[in-house]
Amino acid sequence: MKLAPRLAVLLTALAVTACAPQTSTNSSSDKDEKTGTLRVWLFQEVGNKPKEKVVDSVVTAFEKAHDGTEVDVEYIPIETRAQRVKAAFNDPDSAPDVMEYGNTDTAGYVKDGGLLDVTKEFGDWSEAKDTDPTAKQSVTVDGKIYGAPFYVGVRALYYRTDVFEELGLEVPKTMTELATTARKIRAAKPELYGLVVGGAYTYGAMPFVWANGGEIAAGKGGSYASAIDSAAAQKGIKAYTSLFTDDNCPAAKCAGMGGNDTVTAFAAGKAGMAIGGDFSHTAVEAGKVKGKYAVVPLPGVAAGSIAPAFAGGNNIGVLKSTSHRTLAVELMEQLASKKTQASMFGAMGFLPTFSDVRQQVAAQEPYVKPFAETLAAGTKFVPASPAWSEIDSSLVLPTMFQEVISGKKDVAGASEDAAKKMDEAFGSAG
Amino acid sequence: MRPVSAMSFVRRPWRLLAEASALLIAVVVAFPLYWMVLSAFKPAGEIESSEPRPWTLAPSLDSFRRVFEQNEFGRYFLNSLVVACTVVIVSALIAFLAATAVTRFRFRFRTTLLIMFLVAQMVPVEALTIPLFFLMRDFGQLNTLGSLILPHIAFSLPFAIWMLRGFVKAVPEALEEAAYMDGASRSRFLWQILFPLVFPGLVATSVFSFISAWNDFLFAKSFIISDTSQSTLPMALLVFYKPDEPDWGGVMAASTVMTIPVLIFFVLVQRRLVSGLGGAVKD
Amino acid sequence: MNSSPRPMGRWSTPWLYLAPALVVLAGLLVYPVYQLGLISFFQYTQAQVSGGEPTTFQGFGNYAELFGDEQFWQVLLATVVFAAACVVSTLAVGCALAVLLTRVRAVPRLALMLAAMGAWATPAITGSTVWLFLFDPDFGPVNRVLGLGDHSWTYGRFSAFFLVLLEVVWCSFPFVMVTVYAGIRAVPAEVLEAAALDGASQWRIWRSVLAPMLRPILVVVTIQSVIWDFKVFTQIYVMTNGGGIAGQNLVLNVYAYQKAFASSQYSLGSAIGVVMLLILLAVTLVYLRLLRRQGEEL
Repeated sequence: MKLAPRLAVLLTALAVTACAPQTSTNSSSDKDEKTGTLRVWLFQEVGNKPKEKVVDSVVTAFEKAHDGTEVDVEYIPIETRAQRVKAAFNDPDSAPDVMEYGNTDTAGYVKDGGLLDVTKEFGDWSEAKDTDPTAKQSVTVDGKIYGAPFYVGVRALYYRTDVFEELGLEVPKTMTELATTARKIRAAKPELYGLVVGGAYTYGAMPFVWANGGEIAAGKGGSYASAIDSAAAQKGIKAYTSLFTDDNCPAAKCAGMGGNDTVTAFAAGKAGMAIGGDFSHTAVEAGKVKGKYAVVPLPGVAAGSIAPAFAGGNNIGVLKSTSHRTLAVELMEQLASKKTQASMFGAMGFLPTFSDVRQQVAAQEPYVKPFAETLAAGTKFVPASPAWSEIDSSLVLPTMFQEVISGKKDVAGASEDAAKKMDEAFGSAG
Repeated sequence: MRPVSAMSFVRRPWRLLAEASALLIAVVVAFPLYWMVLSAFKPAGEIESSEPRPWTLAPSLDSFRRVFEQNEFGRYFLNSLVVACTVVIVSALIAFLAATAVTRFRFRFRTTLLIMFLVAQMVPVEALTIPLFFLMRDFGQLNTLGSLILPHIAFSLPFAIWMLRGFVKAVPEALEEAAYMDGASRSRFLWQILFPLVFPGLVATSVFSFISAWNDFLFAKSFIISDTSQSTLPMALLVFYKPDEPDWGGVMAASTVMTIPVLIFFVLVQRRLVSGLGGAVKD
Repeated sequence: MNSSPRPMGRWSTPWLYLAPALVVLAGLLVYPVYQLGLISFFQYTQAQVSGGEPTTFQGFGNYAELFGDEQFWQVLLATVVFAAACVVSTLAVGCALAVLLTRVRAVPRLALMLAAMGAWATPAITGSTVWLFLFDPDFGPVNRVLGLGDHSWTYGRFSAFFLVLLEVVWCSFPFVMVTVYAGIRAVPAEVLEAAALDGASQWRIWRSVLAPMLRPILVVVTIQSVIWDFKVFTQIYVMTNGGGIAGQNLVLNVYAYQKAFASSQYSLGSAIGVVMLLILLAVTLVYLRLLRRQGEEL
């Protein structure tokens, strides 16, 4: 091709201008302006209006207290948050000053160099001492604090009181009973799933692994090693995946489900039991099963024990690129304060991260009780490693469950493969 | 020349059979669209019913209301229209000039260029998001409609040039020579004689640019970061495309809203499109 | 009066006309592709992008990692087979319906044409969602009509691919149909009548009269279909929810996207993009060579 020489010239010219792929210089800003506009990104929830109301009152108070400041709040759809946040890290001009983020993303965002270390300010904050330890762990990476917990979410067992009564069933007290009860429901009422489960519902599946003594990964600080292929973990994986059978939740339908699918199915009256969060309460209340269900903590292996739940939830953090450091940290504290969290619970049902506030709201709203019990019984968190974001988003665990469910691999094979992938991620993230 | 459809040698029963199957196929092909519009109008209870019926007795606008109630919906719609129209017009003009160059001139590298235009279509657009992001940032185009318009012009050009060649070629050389004999300047020939003759082809190719720009959500998602007033329609509709928890009524209403402008565009250009795409064979 | 016959003959004129196109393509296509190639040779994850860590040159490390990954080969095979199936089905349906269009009177022709336009005009994301809804195990009409109960189409690997294939054919056959139909209409009726009078069968007329005359058009629609179907993204992404159960329905483009954006391994994603580009390039060059051997000109 005669093009070659010309192309070569062109390529050389380009190589001179850019000899390595482009990057951003996302260093922290030295500026600390005391006036101007603060940009805030919060997640857009289903039925966002009540959330906006609470946030608006915080913002109004904040603007009143600080002359010359304006707060510009934007609600970003959860589906596109990954791109938006990455883009914000890459283009500091577009980045917000304060943002809400999922607590499983903390370590990843810190590694990406996006979040501001607020250890000192958090220590000085008078309300911080009442933050419950699990929530505090979710903003901590390598001993430093990168934000304030906004709310926690835990999952428990939803069941249909009318179905249980009609069939004369007892609320299951162990994981084994849970499975047999589920099959009894399906056998008596084939139009219902016994316990609706999802192949892509990682945080519904992990309690089974944890209850059997398994762990996602073992280690502390920077170095983790996968433990998902340990004998105990495999037992848990087996317990969970054995629920995907025609006598409980047919694989053809349940293998592809995620957490919301299972809750939707339960809310629509298509399941006898489901594993749902406190945050699912509103959706279930709005469904067909209103008044016909109750919630208990998910039973563990031994009778009377509670399976460790995943402590999900969101945090509020300040971005490193902010040019209003003092103001932004203060706004973060206002948004995550006891007062805001209490009103946010009233508006959205988000569980407060402060132990004392949570006790108060549990006293007012009885439905919080099983979730508070689950929290009190001890919760687990994902490895606080930057690799977790990658493991999570490349669907290592859902793939493992789905491989077992669909019979592509056995438990040992699938868990070993998953462990291998996780170790690679841990290794590369250092 | 007589259209083939008027051919007399096709025997009657065969033609009736052919027409019946054509109608049947038309129904099958149109069915998904019918179902989409139908589901958009169904009241909530009927959509998620295990006995779906191909009609509804109580049409409801609830789903559309959910779609239109979103903040600044009109603004997004307008932005999308601006992006798609700009892309269509600019890429058509640039492609017209380029297609003229590669068909009406002989010059070195002509074939190489043609192959390059073909190769350019093979670039997986999704993979270019990251390099384009930095390019747009350096141009200061992030958060503006420009960041959506520019890449789409680039991506629709190669195909447009490739398709337009046939039309430009179809204009007889004699016409060109006659024009110059009459003293027409080069640009006069280009814009007042060649351009109108090639116009049907431009319309046909513009359909493709319109669709790709109108449907884009990848770039909108990646380049419109902090200024929501610059967001486009697919972004506003994405809210309903939740894989976990599909709001089928909302999804179908949103899909209807998104499909209609393209459909209108197609109906408007339909005739020219058919004659346009055929242009390539008329040597 | 200007007596010079061809003022357009100057060597610089075509380049003048080409200039806007070349500038746009160089800046917005060639340069990003160059960056893509560059990224594929570096260690480049989110940490590097946002400046948290320095970029390091990997040589062919990313490619070695890719080629050592069993999943990559599986996805590659699936992509090739799936794209081939899509191309063949689209061309077969498109050509058959184009011939059918020439056999019917105005009303059925218009009906089929409009239906096809509708399918064509439907945005990929919308079309995928609608087809998914049609085949939904709980609320879709297809399972009711076929009496399949709550059979899930997206659970099995092949049935999921089949469903996506249906959607791809549905939205891409109109281009083939309309183009080929327009091509047939441009064939003089006398030629066909003569062939018919000679007693040639329909298939023979298509093979020995129409197909040769339509070859330039068939070339265009084939190349286009190959390019589009090999790069299919939205349909797989939406209909199999990002690649299907345990990634069974991944094709290269979605695989690259998942690697780059879900896992932030931009360098691996870029390497996959480069591999795709090279494969398409090879297919096209072979095709062009065949054409040239047959005496066709570009």
